[in-house]
Amino acid sequence: MGSFLDFFYALANYSWMQRAFYTALIVGIVGGIIGVFILLKGMVFLGQAIAHTAFAGAALAILLGIEPLYIIIIFGVIAALGVGYVNEKKIMKEDIIIGVIFTFFMALAIIFITLNKQYSTDVNAILFGNILLVSKLNFVVLIITLGIVGVLILGLKKEYYLITFNSDIATVSGIPVKLLEYLLLILLALTIDVSLKAIGAILVFAMIVTPAAAAYQWTFKINKMLLLSSLIGVISSIGGLFLSYLLNLSSGATIVSLSTLIFLFSFIMSPKRIKTGFTTAECKFCRHVINGESYCLDEPECRALDIPHYHDDKGIIILKKDIKPLSTPTKHKHDKEEEK
Amino acid sequence: MQLKQESNNLTSNRDHSDVIVCLKDVSVAYGKNIALYKINLDIEKGEFIGIVGPNGSGKTTLLKTVLGLIKPIQGNIRLFNQNIDGKIPREIKNKISYIPQFTPFDKNFPALVEDVVMMGRYNKIGMFRVPSKEDRERVKHALELVKMDNMAHRPIGHLSGGQQQKVMIAQALATSPSILLLDEPTSALDFKMTKNVMDILTQLNKTYGITIVTIHHNLRIIKEYTKRVIAINKTLVYDGSPNDSQFDEIIDEMYI
Ligand SMILES: Nc1ncnc2c1ncn2[C@@H]1O[C@H](COP(=O)(O)OP(=O)(O)OP(=O)(O)O)[C@@H](O)[C@H]1O
Ligand SMILES: [Mg+2]
Repeated sequence: MGSFLDFFYALANYSWMQRAFYTALIVGIVGGIIGVFILLKGMVFLGQAIAHTAFAGAALAILLGIEPLYIIIIFGVIAALGVGYVNEKKIMKEDIIIGVIFTFFMALAIIFITLNKQYSTDVNAILFGNILLVSKLNFVVLIITLGIVGVLILGLKKEYYLITFNSDIATVSGIPVKLLEYLLLILLALTIDVSLKAIGAILVFAMIVTPAAAAYQWTFKINKMLLLSSLIGVISSIGGLFLSYLLNLSSGATIVSLSTLIFLFSFIMSPKRIKTGFTTAECKFCRHVINGESYCLDEPECRALDIPHYHDDKGIIILKKDIKPLSTPTKHKHDKEEEK
Repeated sequence: MQLKQESNNLTSNRDHSDVIVCLKDVSVAYGKNIALYKINLDIEKGEFIGIVGPNGSGKTTLLKTVLGLIKPIQGNIRLFNQNIDGKIPREIKNKISYIPQFTPFDKNFPALVEDVVMMGRYNKIGMFRVPSKEDRERVKHALELVKMDNMAHRPIGHLSGGQQQKVMIAQALATSPSILLLDEPTSALDFKMTKNVMDILTQLNKTYGITIVTIHHNLRIIKEYTKRVIAINKTLVYDGSPNDSQFDEIIDEMYI
């Protein structure tokens, strides 16, 4: 068990700890960013399939005794293209593809592992990952790859946002939707592939989904969601690195547990679920409760009691003219509600 | 044939170059199922056209074909006097706006009203770029046109169906289109809001000369707001005035 000071001593003096730190930092940031669009696009399961395919690649590489990283990347990208193609041509329903591909590649991975006779520590390292053992080669590839992924996703933020909003509108407005969807799958595969050794095949996908899912609970703004998601990613990856070092736990598992805790906290505290967490006000005239859920629907210009007024974005009541509010407001219902 | 002539009479005083959408013998199929058969259609600049037809008659397919979202198996499409085969060129895409059939938004989708309208500017902004001040002004203006500017900062999922539909119209306007294609823009709305939306469309048509093509199920609305109606049922069965007695006959036949 390392002590608090050991951690910072190692961080200041040893390159393996510095590599671990920067790995955690960039995996947290980029995983958080790409996760937002994976989540909004509803591609969470596709990502899971890609992660398991990459694991099969790693198992094959270990069996053949070659550097796993290359095979993992090749497997991951092929899986991304394959999943994207079957999905685009609507050859099968999405969940069927995923079910089939996912289990087939797990089966392949198990065959490769058992062919290997002895259950090597290498397999263990890929399955569970260890952020402290990221090799120099892996580190360089990770920094470059994730750097490119991050820049591309942020650069194409608007386009991906519109595609997740409505892909037909995106196509009509001239965005190359199919191309960008394939690109997103490939970038997702690359993110998973290069992070495999650090976080582990079983858990790597949580680094992409969990921070984004936590960020989703807090905001209605895409930029804020991207920022929060990568912030939560970084807090969990660096916090997880620190805690796992301190308590001698598996780094991948600690990182993922931490992000899950943040997710749970976000989910429980989410202003999207708790009505009172929002700007709440009651219109003095129509008594309509104005909060995150129920605005004065259909009638921004509420004419309750024949006093023309309207509610602005924050629920503040704006009078049309200088009309004094009645001392005892009467309850008023809008036409639409009465119909129900 | 008789119908065809009628529509020609309606528009004969106009120049031929005013035709911005021209379909000739266009057929569309999904696999082996023919959804549209030999459609001939001319749409001129500044028209306000309603499209009617029973469920599954191919109305959405027709719009998507014009938009290049579906490729016809046969026939010829011209947009803005340019033959389209395969991809629609960018400068033509910039002139066309589309509002798909209404699906309510996820209540928590991370987008404010102004963000949704800004999406209409994305094609003009271009990849790897951020919106300029002018883009933001256009968004504001588009929201003012549909009288939704006081809701710019609300989450889109928190609006009523009618308000969401108005935001979608603002999004389409932000692209400053020449032609606006709408797929049942008022299907989710009550009568009052339907009229509200149709009034907005009429204003856009009259004031800005935007060509409007809109699918509708409500014949009363069609008769009140449009001068030309197209009825389809896999083929084009009527093209002319909605206040013609012949239209009523065809409608009676079609909906039996
Ligand atoms: N993606 C698709 N794949 C296969 N068939 C389709 C597809 N979309 C539509 N169709 C078929 O094409 C025909 C026309 O469909 P379309 O959606 O254009 O009808 P519509 O007139 O818009 O109907 P509605 O009033 O219900 O919206 C229908 O028979 C439908 O089953
Ligand atoms: Mg339809």
